[in-house]
Amino acid sequence: MFDKFSLKLSDEEKLHKEQQISKLRERYKDYKDPWGFDVEKVVDAFNLIYPVYKKYFRIRVFGAENIEDKPYIFASNHTGQIPIDGMMITIALAMEVDKPRVLHSMVDSFLAGFPFLGSLTAQTGSILGDRGNCKWLLDQGESILVFPEGMKGITKSTHEFYDTRKFSNGFFRIALGEKTPIVPITVVGAEEMFPFVYHAKKLGKMFGLPTLPLTANLFPLPSPIDIYIGKPYEVPDDLSVDAQDKDIREHVYKIEKQINAQLLKGLKDRRPFFDEIRIPLADKFLKRRKNE
Amino acid sequence: MNKPKKILIIGIAGGLAQITSRVILGNDPTVQIYGIDNRKPPEVDIKGLTCIKMRYSRGNFEKLFREHEFDVVYHLGRMSHSTIGSNDLSKRLELSVMGTNRILDLSLRFNIKKLIILSTFHVYGALPDNSIFLNEEDPLRASIKHSELRDVVEMDQICTNWMWKYQDTMSTIVLRPCNIIGSQISNTMSKYLTSSYAIRPIDYNPVFQFIHEFDMATVLARACTDLPTGIYNVATDDFISLNEALDIVGSKGIPFPISVAAPLNQLLKKVNLDIPTYLIDYLKNSCLISNSSLKKHLGEDFYRFKIDQALNLLKI
Repeated sequence: MFDKFSLKLSDEEKLHKEQQISKLRERYKDYKDPWGFDVEKVVDAFNLIYPVYKKYFRIRVFGAENIEDKPYIFASNHTGQIPIDGMMITIALAMEVDKPRVLHSMVDSFLAGFPFLGSLTAQTGSILGDRGNCKWLLDQGESILVFPEGMKGITKSTHEFYDTRKFSNGFFRIALGEKTPIVPITVVGAEEMFPFVYHAKKLGKMFGLPTLPLTANLFPLPSPIDIYIGKPYEVPDDLSVDAQDKDIREHVYKIEKQINAQLLKGLKDRRPFFDEIRIPLADKFLKRRKNE
Repeated sequence: MNKPKKILIIGIAGGLAQITSRVILGNDPTVQIYGIDNRKPPEVDIKGLTCIKMRYSRGNFEKLFREHEFDVVYHLGRMSHSTIGSNDLSKRLELSVMGTNRILDLSLRFNIKKLIILSTFHVYGALPDNSIFLNEEDPLRASIKHSELRDVVEMDQICTNWMWKYQDTMSTIVLRPCNIIGSQISNTMSKYLTSSYAIRPIDYNPVFQFIHEFDMATVLARACTDLPTGIYNVATDDFISLNEALDIVGSKGIPFPISVAAPLNQLLKKVNLDIPTYLIDYLKNSCLISNSSLKKHLGEDFYRFKIDQALNLLKI
């Protein structure tokens, strides 16, 4: 009965994972970056998280065919109270596309300077969100993952779930400077990992944290997650990187609109998860009582 | 500029200054080099190099300028900021800041054609929000967090201000090298990498740039003829994580969480056994510099040793 929720991968899934990992090893065998990227650390992380990705969150990816083997800026909505959405998008782009890659997520200096975690995130490809850093990576043919909503995107209380915050313009200026297409990504389902949340921002600040999410559950619930990969948005050739905000805004709004459209579709098509959990748990509970 | 005939090297007791004088004399044996230092002069016999023990604050320092009509002055005599103690800071401020001011003043008065100053990449500071490959235009933030580094930043700023102010009279070059390593120089980084008691951080693994002492000396020598007035970061294209660097050198080190080093250091300070706190930051955060300005003038392959080669040479 619990096989449905087992984290054990099928033979086919294991084979697929190994094939994708060997492609990644080949791609990154000579790659070296100034943050200490280590493909073996990435492989270790994928080996650990892929079963969770596949079996716990049962992630479905739509639109993987939109991705070619070239650098992109992936711009996603931010969902969930922990940056698990970034981790899942990274695995999706490594495991579900023909030419896998390790996405470089942008992290805050708070995380980058954190003992152990800062070093681990750097070794697995995450870097401090900084224009110079993004430019360097794109010049090397790497792709980056940005959350244009910023920290505000993951500091939503229950009543604000799935509301997208105003997108910043910075990522679009980077794309303009590097002439890199932007891929709109939408993650649906991650908000329900922590269904009841209150953000104690003032309390968080007392501890030097950007916020302090108070949740009913400490461990993320197995909410089924869907990732929608939109068609790449080509940046205009005739717009300068130093263009006025209003000119940039027009394009950022189009990307924001695309992400929201994907979000609406995703919410209509999303899978329920409470029933799936309650039925087998109830069966087991009833059976045990019967035996007693 | 044309090949110089007479050169003054300040700080000749240092290993880098001696290698530089060898490189200059190797390129042109006819040049005359005067090396001065307030420390004991080196016991080396290099044809063309005359070493004198002298303090910059004394009158005979000015006499030296007056008597010798130097073409080029190398200021490699900045007092190391890696030592400890608050008394030491006042000495460093006197030597690095006041001494440098005197060198600049004398160079201007005695019509020196070129003044080459060795600063350090430490002026940028090792901060968690550092962008990679800092340019010469990036702000010097070292002393914001660590006031004990104000002599280093102050000296650099005095030199750069001077450089632009008198650019029509004298060509001034400020070099900001990354970590210089080699068997002939005894700086903090070379000692750290080769020490059996080096702290090996377990909670951080910053990325470093290293340049071999010979390559640095070559850059200094070429600065005389190939570099125009300006500030230049000096680093190779390579970079390496600290743990990898320690592995190459063969240093096992002592695994230690750097995140507890700062509070521990506060306790050690009470018994005068502390280490410079800014060094702890360099074991936590990367501070990488861009060499693009230097490459424009010295070409793509201005260095001979890659990082792994330079680290391997430390074992000798």
